[in-house]
Amino acid sequence: MRVEYINPFVESAYSVIQEVLNVEVKRGELYLKSSSIPVLGVAAIVGLAGDVEGRVLFDMTRESALKVANDMLKSMDMDQIDSLNDMGRATITELANMITGQAVTKLHNLGFKFDLTPPAIFTGDNMEVSDPGVEALIVPMEIPQGKIEINVAIRERT
Amino acid sequence: MSSEDTSTRSFGRVPGAAIEGTMISRDSERGVEDHTETIDYKMVTFSLGGKDYGIDIMNVKEIAKFHTFTYVPNAPPFVRGVYNLRGDIISIIDLRLMFNLPAEQKDDNQPEDGLIIRMENHMLGVIVDNVARVVGISRRAIQPPHPIFADINLKYISGVVEHESRLYIILDVERIFHRDGGVSERSDPGRTEPDTRPMGQFGGEFPAHATEPQPVTHSRASGDERQVDFEFVRETLATFAGFHASEVNRQWLRRRFEDWRRERESVNKDVQLASTEDAEMFLEPFYSPSTNAFWSEQYVRRFASILPAAEHPSAFTAWNIGCGKGFETYSLALTLRDALPESRLKIWANDNDLLGVSTAPNLVFSAGVVPELFRRYVVAGRNGYSFSHEIRDLIVFEYHDVTNPSAVPEMDLIVVRDVLSFMPVDDQQAVIERIGEKAKPGAIAVLGENERMPVPEIWEPIEQAPSGVYRKVE
Repeated sequence: MRVEYINPFVESAYSVIQEVLNVEVKRGELYLKSSSIPVLGVAAIVGLAGDVEGRVLFDMTRESALKVANDMLKSMDMDQIDSLNDMGRATITELANMITGQAVTKLHNLGFKFDLTPPAIFTGDNMEVSDPGVEALIVPMEIPQGKIEINVAIRERT
Repeated sequence: MSSEDTSTRSFGRVPGAAIEGTMISRDSERGVEDHTETIDYKMVTFSLGGKDYGIDIMNVKEIAKFHTFTYVPNAPPFVRGVYNLRGDIISIIDLRLMFNLPAEQKDDNQPEDGLIIRMENHMLGVIVDNVARVVGISRRAIQPPHPIFADINLKYISGVVEHESRLYIILDVERIFHRDGGVSERSDPGRTEPDTRPMGQFGGEFPAHATEPQPVTHSRASGDERQVDFEFVRETLATFAGFHASEVNRQWLRRRFEDWRRERESVNKDVQLASTEDAEMFLEPFYSPSTNAFWSEQYVRRFASILPAAEHPSAFTAWNIGCGKGFETYSLALTLRDALPESRLKIWANDNDLLGVSTAPNLVFSAGVVPELFRRYVVAGRNGYSFSHEIRDLIVFEYHDVTNPSAVPEMDLIVVRDVLSFMPVDDQQAVIERIGEKAKPGAIAVLGENERMPVPEIWEPIEQAPSGVYRKVE
């Protein structure tokens, strides 16, 4: 992945999670992976198009997703949920959208043109994601609600 | 040596073939040793609680540094945990704790020295104080153990031997980990292998594997010892410097080893590598010119001479694998810009070192380090000098692991200097294959000056080019 793309994603993830959830965020070591990756339980995906092609995946366990959704809802003075219902899924999707949106804005300022596709969310047990031919950058984020893994796979259009 | 299996990382399977050479008298101060005595027993030596020990090299798969292992609850105290050895989960046993010897407490993030022990059908890691070296001795010199070695139960000792005025206690790992009272008796009760060896009888009776007929070496001791040293150097280069011996660097390694041996013997130092510093010293002549720096004018001219001079391609793509901080990539971009002024250039540069490659797109340097030839592309900035956009826009720097799939287009030139040798052998093969796939017919590949492309049916050396430069067969 092009070096210039890395920081916008890492910074946006860090600052959006910190602002929205108002918690301390610990960033893990970045690394690369290409083999299939187990999905923890809830995965929000945002597609990227434009100068590049690729996608960003936000992955967390069901428990963490519920906690994150509730904390976000609380900050907006909305009712709490006790299972990951439509409201919960929409909240997680929104978080993914905010992070990716901010990263794409930063990239625009650097001169790279990216477009977003509407996010989608997957939930289930024992899921794996694999895209042969694309290497993914893994950005692990540790928050009190649990672990969020951001999986960025982008390649240049050639 | 061509028949030797390059993928093997083991000591034991390496044939005991000796290298021809002059005989070195190591024992001149003692003057009584028979120089022609056959070395038919090799052991890896190490220390435990201040004493010297050895283990038969046939039982040692490799020398290792254990970084983090996973604690296993309810295990005996000497089982430090399990360890992931390239996909195989092995138990790690602390020999010092097992034998109640004093053990130095290391910090959690400090690696432990150890050996990977290979037995009939499983592997095991053992932690020791320090791994010393490989020693070749004559089986005849091994003496039965004396009860005075009370530190370790006699039944685990297969003998003692003196070598270069040090006394080594040879441990019998089969007995320690397999036999009655051994570890596996408790941890692996399903094992029903009978103990066929008489206990406590050591006079002249050596472990079964030691008396099995082995390839008999009639060579002179010095040649045999040299082979032991060579294998050990080969193995420790991987442990200390991440340098993996393979077809890519075999020629250089052989040659360098002979030089190194002479250098070290002339200053009376051990041929074997004991530390990272030793390994770096050994590898010093390996690196190609202008490593981690901008290329010198001389190297630029040499490099330009291998480029297609007659025709000017309309588009020219280059791939720089292992670009590091970008010195090599910028040098390449400048060289190509001057050599192919008409061509549309694109250079893809990647490295899996995130910190290094992160600084590459905005590399800042002092003016003096760029050869005169390229000063016109240098612009002054607030923090120092950098290259003009004309050059920077030619390059795409990527954080990328070349063992993963890559989306780069087909290439006219691939520069991969001194990169392959620092990958595990399997990865080297995968990357060589990928380079072959991504290269256009007639493309040029530039390896390190001391590296060779091992697939002659795809890559042929370019005549009159510096060594390490190849053209893809059309």
